[in-house]
Amino acid sequence: MDAVKTRRPNILAELGFTHGFSIAVILVIALALQSTLLARVTILGVIPQILLVVIVSLAYLRGERIGIVCGFFGGLMQDLLLTDSIVGLYAMVYLLIGFAAGSFRKYAPAESVWMPVFVVAAASAVAEISYATLNIIMGQRWVSLIFTLKVASLVVLYNTLLTPFVFPLVRRIADRFSPEKVHRW
Amino acid sequence: MLLVFLTLCVVLITLDFRSDDGGILEGAKDVTAAVVEPVQRGFTAIFRPIGNIFSSIGELGSLRSENKELRAELAILRERSTQAEGVLDENAHLRELVELDEPWAAMDRVAAEITSKVPSNYQWAYTIGKGAADGIEEDMTVVNADGLVGKIFDVQENSATVLLLIDPRGAAGAKLEGKRYSGTISGNGADEPLSLEFIGVDIPVEPGDIVQTSYLGGSIFPPNIPIGFVSTVEGDSANPEQRVEVQPDVDFTRLDFVYVLLESGPNLEDSK
Repeated sequence: MDAVKTRRPNILAELGFTHGFSIAVILVIALALQSTLLARVTILGVIPQILLVVIVSLAYLRGERIGIVCGFFGGLMQDLLLTDSIVGLYAMVYLLIGFAAGSFRKYAPAESVWMPVFVVAAASAVAEISYATLNIIMGQRWVSLIFTLKVASLVVLYNTLLTPFVFPLVRRIADRFSPEKVHRW
Repeated sequence: MLLVFLTLCVVLITLDFRSDDGGILEGAKDVTAAVVEPVQRGFTAIFRPIGNIFSSIGELGSLRSENKELRAELAILRERSTQAEGVLDENAHLRELVELDEPWAAMDRVAAEITSKVPSNYQWAYTIGKGAADGIEEDMTVVNADGLVGKIFDVQENSATVLLLIDPRGAAGAKLEGKRYSGTISGNGADEPLSLEFIGVDIPVEPGDIVQTSYLGGSIFPPNIPIGFVSTVEGDSANPEQRVEVQPDVDFTRLDFVYVLLESGPNLEDSK
């Protein structure tokens, strides 16, 4: 993890130590929430992917480079917590999502309230479907197609509902530790 | 930059495919678990009461009458338990005489608290707060008061992962209570019934039949642990495509504590 970062000093410089550390903490907390509290408060047995909501929020706020880094390390952590699944799949899906959400920022109206919600909804749908597809292609034992679609649509719904709470929180934390001062008025 | 990280992912996936067991990824998994687990434990401790409040708000009215009923039931159960102790002693003695395997209910066990769930919607596994330090080994049987929960999948020093019976990656040898037909039972995910496939055709299975674990079918579980009951039978019994669905006894969405049977798993293999 460190080896990769030191080879590209520009992204490390862009992040800054405190900023990078605070982002790592946010990702760990999101993952821990997803496996404890949110694993109990489910919608029809489906857990929301709050980690993805956080990654998309960070990417949307900070651009595609941060999106790639957060997506990769966040996804990798989730991969490593799973049992007997292919390591690297979530990392790959989430880094592409982070890249896409970060790139999309340029085309979105700056202070739109609805845009983050829309981006998270679209990102969740793409992430769920592509993760399932990749697993099936790679010959993993998988649940039925109907079950997958049920889970995917509920994740989209739940993630979308969480965004109005998660996004402002992530924005406040990201602003506080941001290397360049952001002025809001 | 995107390409660099994408290549890294492909390398990881390849590494994972190449190495069957252990290696760098195993180490990375341990490190991740070590970082995230303290946070998970903290959250579990903080949020358990909140979760319980959510589920108990609707039950406030019925609590008093339920309390009275439970007290009455407790008195009956106390009496039965005294009788049962004598029978268990006698049973153990007789089993020793005829050299039968120990029944699962009498096996040494470790109670463990569930600390977290695997953060995925396609995997049904829980982390428990006991591990190798408490004598837990891979493939040991996990039960609760209602019946079979699953098996130990992965062990760390102070934690372990339990693969639940409802996970499609697991399967158990099963039989119908009182009838001598065996098959395998496998999961279909949360809130879905289990599927039971028999060895052989023309089996007179009916809704309501009780399903338990069995030795046959290469099962790692000790026999006679309750699994559930047959809820629906689809198709003709002469048809090999017959579909039998089983409703599990254990409520997998509301697990807080489980028991690990210490004499099952590898130790059971030895004694066979």
